[in-house]
Amino acid sequence: MTSAAVELRGISKRFDAVVANDGVDLVLRRGTIHAVMGENGAGKSTLMSILFGLVRPDSGDIVVNGVERHFRGPLDAIAAGLGMVHQHFRLFDSMTVAENVVYGAEPTRRGSLDRKAAAARVRELSDRYGLETDPDAVVGRLSAGARQRVEILKALHRDAEILILDEPTAVLTPDEVDSLFAVLRRAADGGATVVLVTHKIHEVLAISDEVTVLRDARVTGRFRTAEATSGALVQAMTGREVREVGNPGTGEPGEVVLEVERLGVTDRGVHRVRDVSFSVRRGEIVGVAGVSGNGQHEVVAAILGTDPIESGTIRLLGRDLASLDVRRRRALGLAVVPEDRRGEGTAVTMSTAENLSLGHHRTPPIGASTGWRRGFLNLRAQRDMARRLIADYDVRTSGEKLPVGALSGGNAQKVVIARELSHDAPVLIAEQPTQGVDIGAIESIHQRLLDYRDQGGAVLLVSHEIAELQALADRVLVMFAGRIVAEYSRADASTERIGAAMAGAAEHRQAGEHEEAAS
Amino acid sequence: MTVSTGTEAPPEPRSAAARRLLGVAVRHPAVVPLGAVVLALLIGAVIIAAAGLDPLVAYAAVLEGALEPGSLDYTFSVWGFTCGMALAAAIPLRMGEFNLGGNGQLVLGGLAAVVVAGALPGPFAVPLALLAAAVLAGGFGAISAPLATRFKIPIIISTLLLSPVAVAVVSFLIRYPLAERGSGVAQTAQLPEDARMWRLPELSYSNVGLLVIIAMMIVFWIVDSRTAVGYELRVVGANRRFGAYGGIVVGRLALGAMAAAGAAAGIVGAIIVLSAPYRLIDGALLSPGYTFAGFAAALLAGGRPLLIPLTSVLFAVLQVGGAAMERSADVPRQLSDLLQGVVIVVLALRTVLDARRTGRSEH
Repeated sequence: MTSAAVELRGISKRFDAVVANDGVDLVLRRGTIHAVMGENGAGKSTLMSILFGLVRPDSGDIVVNGVERHFRGPLDAIAAGLGMVHQHFRLFDSMTVAENVVYGAEPTRRGSLDRKAAAARVRELSDRYGLETDPDAVVGRLSAGARQRVEILKALHRDAEILILDEPTAVLTPDEVDSLFAVLRRAADGGATVVLVTHKIHEVLAISDEVTVLRDARVTGRFRTAEATSGALVQAMTGREVREVGNPGTGEPGEVVLEVERLGVTDRGVHRVRDVSFSVRRGEIVGVAGVSGNGQHEVVAAILGTDPIESGTIRLLGRDLASLDVRRRRALGLAVVPEDRRGEGTAVTMSTAENLSLGHHRTPPIGASTGWRRGFLNLRAQRDMARRLIADYDVRTSGEKLPVGALSGGNAQKVVIARELSHDAPVLIAEQPTQGVDIGAIESIHQRLLDYRDQGGAVLLVSHEIAELQALADRVLVMFAGRIVAEYSRADASTERIGAAMAGAAEHRQAGEHEEAAS
Repeated sequence: MTVSTGTEAPPEPRSAAARRLLGVAVRHPAVVPLGAVVLALLIGAVIIAAAGLDPLVAYAAVLEGALEPGSLDYTFSVWGFTCGMALAAAIPLRMGEFNLGGNGQLVLGGLAAVVVAGALPGPFAVPLALLAAAVLAGGFGAISAPLATRFKIPIIISTLLLSPVAVAVVSFLIRYPLAERGSGVAQTAQLPEDARMWRLPELSYSNVGLLVIIAMMIVFWIVDSRTAVGYELRVVGANRRFGAYGGIVVGRLALGAMAAAGAAAGIVGAIIVLSAPYRLIDGALLSPGYTFAGFAAALLAGGRPLLIPLTSVLFAVLQVGGAAMERSADVPRQLSDLLQGVVIVVLALRTVLDARRTGRSEH
């Protein structure tokens, strides 16, 4: 067994009343890939922030390469040989790969940046670790996978021997995930220590050497991956066995309730959505696959009415939505679970009860629509509805007065789902409904969507998770570069096909066909 | 393969517990506003000391000057006007908008009141004057909403730029068409007896106008906490995109908020001209600085209806006591303005730092 590169001993951290880490021990052996797993709110992000010097522990020791450390900030951690790749990239879009990589630790010649040396350094690192990158490319034009490689290069440039990656696969296509794992394996074989924070079990099994599982701020399992099973991991994460939710494939869907025809959306001169047409029927879940940023979000915003459209028509229950604002569209029968939970789906500083009442505040029982109390809120009805939804949707909270910002990601998402489903709208758009949500909550959210579908609801499900679409959708559309490039029936929706279409393969094929037809 | 069930939490060292308690205390929402006030007072003290005077004597003079029985009546009326102008700032602030046009709205209210009360003296003169002031100043404030919705001109900018226009127009009207004949001073004729604000027994400065302002504050509190409109204001203030996504028509809400803010400022202007000396004097509505003091009070209260009366006390005391300080401690009253300025800067700093911190913590 190799020696320990990092040892965390008895790490504890509280934020106000919330215990994030409670006596956590973690040993990272040199030259291994170590997965840190746990549901949202289990404390894995806090643990990594402590390791990287972003957060100071209340108690406990950090030992790096046999030396006890007290990090005052990330710079101390970097100096000790740690590097972190954050979930959301921290790069300068307008600068080149080489400039981004050396930023903060630049090779200089006569006081100014030595571009040649920077480019050479990037090439050297790229070759050593098999990270394909062009040092002179402008970061803003790169795909998510390429940007992530730049982040990894940044850490390697500073001689990081211990790499922390926080949910690195969330933004990647299946192919990009494979090449990331190859890079990480190569780095580990070369003596680096890799920590992978994730809640995806298949990734843990595919790439890691060892696993530490956290639940409720404590370590609930330590495994050697070769000896671990997915069942054991799930049990350690959730404390129980998780039932797989699947689409039971019920009867025939009903009439069309949402119809999008030749939709085009332009944002500051850039075509975000081109010529998109599809329809959703009652009792049907239509999945939309695609790597983030290929127009899915713009389609949702166009249907909801928060962003203007360039061309095309959208009909809801047979009615053209062109002249209707968001309020009228919602009143007509539309509910939306947005992608950006903190930025759009909730007001984190407001109470859970107030977050649950949006859209209910002008209709009985919360808002009186007639009589002398017209325009007033019934605060008791607001409280009662909040308590009922919190119980029905199993939101783990100390009460309806708690701000939504104090809830874990999964519980905040349950609040959004509860609010939107409680509108009893015939059409639901769910955008990344389980992103950043723990396994227990994923199961319950999936079941809610299926129940809603079975009661005759029409669902447009936008997701980056192919497995989620396979589990739930009756049909899967794939978006790439603003277009729908493929459609698969439930039976045909294999991971390989969807993955290839997400990466643009279908687009190329279609373009080729067009060229052939033209010639 | 081992599965540990977790260890007992080690007993916490005392210093860590103390630090945590401190951490909780430091994050309390009242800390920054209180800190701003304390910091302002400290800076003021340093300046007074640097001028070779005793800060304690000066501050004692402020308190004494504002709170001695003889001046309480006056302090009360200043407090009322500060509260009124704080409302004009707080209503849009609730939805995250800054109304910097209080001066223009204030003078337009005074103009409307003096014209209407002068034209229609009698039992209905006061209510009609207040109504006219609310309509004119409210309409003026409301202009900024479509400018923001249609032309993307931020409300903070359009109110700031439109305000001097209104002030200049009113100033012109006072000097020429509405000027009192035979008087060299830029002022309108005195309002007749039956077109003046009703008095309260035994008080010379405070009158029924103060009760009107208190009533407006109660209405704001009820609307804010108990109505759908107030809820929408708070939702949009907490997260504008969340509001728009939920179907709140933000433009219409801004229209209402700016109209209400303008109306509140206009009513303050009306009350001032309907009180002694019962005329519109050029510059007299602006020189006491109610707009700025009210803005600072609203900012300090975070727009919360129940805190505005408290924060307004601070600025009213500074305002009234500042004059006394000048007389008895030889410290210029501009120090009051300076203290207001420091409070605003510290609060603005908090907003910027908050934005940075949340930007950083969203990993």
